[in-house]
Amino acid sequence: MRTTRFLVPAAVGALALTGVTACGAKDDRQDAGTGNTVKVKATDSVCEVDVTELDAGQATFTVTNSGSKVNEFYVYAAGDRVMGEVENIAPGLSRELRVELPAGTYETACKPGMSGRGIRGALKVSGTAATVAPDAALTEATASYQRYVTSQTAALLTKTEEFVAAVKAGDVPKAKALYPVARTYWERIEPVAESFGDLDPKIDGREEVVEEGMEFTGFHRIEKDLWTTGDISKDGPIADRLLADVKEIVARANAEKLTPLQLANGAKALLDEVASGKITGEEERYSHTDLWDFNANLEGSKAAVAALRPALEQRAPELVAQLDKEFANVEAALGKHRDGDGWKLHTQLSKAELKELSDSINALAEPISKVAAAVAR
Amino acid sequence: MFATYLIGLREGLEATLVVSILIAFLVKSQRRDRLPQVWAGVGLAVALSILFGWLIEYTSTSLLARSEDRELFEAVTSVAAVVFVTWMIFWMRRAARTIAGELRGKLSEALAVGSLAVAGMAFLAVIREGLETALIFYSAAQSATGGTGSGPLLALVGGIATAVGIGFLIYRSALRINLSTFFTWTGALLILVAAGILKYGVHDFQEAGVLPGLNDLAFDITGVLDPSTWYAALLAGMFNITAAPSVLETVAWVAYAVPVLVLFLRRPATPAKPVPADAPERPATPDTTAQPAGSRRV
Repeated sequence: MRTTRFLVPAAVGALALTGVTACGAKDDRQDAGTGNTVKVKATDSVCEVDVTELDAGQATFTVTNSGSKVNEFYVYAAGDRVMGEVENIAPGLSRELRVELPAGTYETACKPGMSGRGIRGALKVSGTAATVAPDAALTEATASYQRYVTSQTAALLTKTEEFVAAVKAGDVPKAKALYPVARTYWERIEPVAESFGDLDPKIDGREEVVEEGMEFTGFHRIEKDLWTTGDISKDGPIADRLLADVKEIVARANAEKLTPLQLANGAKALLDEVASGKITGEEERYSHTDLWDFNANLEGSKAAVAALRPALEQRAPELVAQLDKEFANVEAALGKHRDGDGWKLHTQLSKAELKELSDSINALAEPISKVAAAVAR
Repeated sequence: MFATYLIGLREGLEATLVVSILIAFLVKSQRRDRLPQVWAGVGLAVALSILFGWLIEYTSTSLLARSEDRELFEAVTSVAAVVFVTWMIFWMRRAARTIAGELRGKLSEALAVGSLAVAGMAFLAVIREGLETALIFYSAAQSATGGTGSGPLLALVGGIATAVGIGFLIYRSALRINLSTFFTWTGALLILVAAGILKYGVHDFQEAGVLPGLNDLAFDITGVLDPSTWYAALLAGMFNITAAPSVLETVAWVAYAVPVLVLFLRRPATPAKPVPADAPERPATPDTTAQPAGSRRV
């Protein structure tokens, strides 16, 4: 039949266009069991990836959806570049994702209901293709930032304990005073905390997490009760959970070994946080203590850059000078809004003042975004 | 279960819509003799989907096993499908003009529809989603044998069956409308479908990493159009209207739909001449020019 005679080559041509090798190239599934077969348990609210570290090369994710919504599973590289994805995982089914992963840091994500950013988790791939040649300055950078994380998490734990105690005692003024202080330590190390995707929304989720099928808990839930109704009599269990989650994240953050590239990306992520959440007043919508967070994000970003400084001075001295100048500029702009040993409320700032802050952050974001490239050199 | 049913419905619609309009068009323009080619194209696409799905699911082939390759495959076949469907749109336009010029008798002559084009269009419409659907089908079949029950499998098949049913209804109602209205309206409908397929192809190129900007969203109305609802599944299946499209796919949609709609709906300045060879913008059909060797045995 004429039709099929034409169509078979056409079909084969279409396949060839996709740059696939011929049949029979074996990557035996039994052999792939060298730690590169990953089981993922997905429900409407959980995304459990059974390993978070892999060897470079071919990885096979078997995603089982035991929730009630259709799910999707993604592996993202930096900047949410899709490395691989599998869609249409109907409730009760398992589907496979096979993907080639070079060494680096990735994020896994389940998307129950096929929408939103998904439930994120960190994935480290190490081996053959080294990311950054480890030199002494960079090794020292990660060690020194590790010390910073340790000190900040210790303070986070102490202040969260005090805050939780005040909430449970029903002491509203004290809880209000402690709230921005405890959050300062959280905001300083937020990128580290965010790499534990499952805990971040529980501790720091805003009210919108409800739309993703999660419960609204953590800091912002208590913030809402403190500043809107002033009634925290029922927040005991929420406060207990917050403390348990913070303890968990502190333990994980101290066990985490960060790469220089993660430091550089973290410094940038903190500034993005400022631009997206703090300048807008979205983060602290009830307490309006956004400037405390702003300052903490800035300090966290500065700490990451400071840890990388010796390495950067070898690699890109002109960038260091530019960073110093822009950091000073943001600090000066923010310094105008000090209030005692704290900060003015977001609502006390005029549009023009917010714009000035926003401009200074954008000016700093530009050299910060070059840090990663300088580190990877 | 309903969620699984909607997957079947959405994936099924993406294929059946083009095929049912194509069949209605052939029947309306008295070219029933082309129907075997349609079924050949559909059959081959289904067979290949089932075969490749089986290879990926049950053997360790590397062919299309990586998700990027599959995204790329869907992208390439989608863009190819757009080319064929655009062809059909302009057949429709010519048919509409021929009828407007009171030349009914000339209709079948004016529509020298190439058999290869017909079969190719049917094939591409089905294959672009066929592989993904086959893979979902196998995973549902495995869960049925694996003890979780055959619910997902039945739901998926039910969804595909509903899509085929909707396709049949579109075909039946298309046959009832009067001829020139039919050509104008189905042509316009098909432009929206084709724009949707192109948008889908661009999105898959972005997911395969060939085109940039996957995360630059043009807008995000997931709050209004929840992807897990039945109407969202229908909109996605028929016109690929999605709640959070990227800027690039939206641009592609507009860049295709607007000029083609304008070209399609533009009334000819003079009444159509008996010999429909006066429209320079019209793509040549394969039988009139592009197939001297294919149609004659040498």
